Amino acid sequence: MRAAVGLFGERAYDGVSVDDLVSHLGVHRNSLYKTFGSKRGLYLIALRRHLTDDVRPLCDALAGASDAADALRLVTSADLNLLLLAAIERAPVDEEVASDVAAALAAVDQAIAGALGVPGDLAAALTAAALGILLRGNPDNAATALTQHVGLLT
Amino acid sequence: MALIRIDGDSLVVVIEGLDKLWAFKGGMTIPLANVRGATADPGIAAEPKGVRAPGSHVPGVIIAGTFHQDGEKVFWDVKDPSKAVVVELAGEKYARLVLQVDDPRATVALVENALV
Repeated sequence: MRAAVGLFGERAYDGVSVDDLVSHLGVHRNSLYKTFGSKRGLYLIALRRHLTDDVRPLCDALAGASDAADALRLVTSADLNLLLLAAIERAPVDEEVASDVAAALAAVDQAIAGALGVPGDLAAALTAAALGILLRGNPDNAATALTQHVGLLT
Repeated sequence: MALIRIDGDSLVVVIEGLDKLWAFKGGMTIPLANVRGATADPGIAAEPKGVRAPGSHVPGVIIAGTFHQDGEKVFWDVKDPSKAVVVELAGEKYARLVLQVDDPRATVALVENALV
């Protein structure tokens, strides 16, 4: 299942064929259908595995964050590829994905709010900024500028 | 070629044209509760399909009829593998249907949305 998380986290959903899944997961095509029902069925299980293996530990770590800089560093260094791709690509067309993604992001918000003692909406803004910094790829300057300003607000 | 539509709580599959002859079937109605999902799978036609009976197989031209593999029955109606969709079933005579449809992406969306 980690192989499926990796595959769906590095390529668009339509870019992962059943051939790719069969060869990367080392399962027979028939048993793949029998076990998961469809590519979407397998995708949903991979997404949930990613949330359990990667996002939940992030939330646990965030709960112990000492300040906004620490929280940003934790989020921007986490492996959130599948969560981000799911949010962009699958959530708008798949209600179950949308609800899993929303719940995962809400858990991140909550962990930040709890650790920093900030209101939920400011925690959500920090999560949004952290994901944006993660997407842009070179987080250091943006994160520093942001945490300096957040430091003034809290 | 197969036409797939949702009719109330059922998935209706109609085999079109001459394929009907090859596949010995006019169509089938399957309760949505017995449909597990649908997947566009152009690669499936290249896999071993098991033993065919009854039905017809002219290699490279048409795959149609009932195939037996690993104790499962699989219904095939595919001429153009690039348009193959796999419909996985539960509690039905067939474990899965491998069907050629006009628009695989739209068919998968139709079936998956009906299951949500």
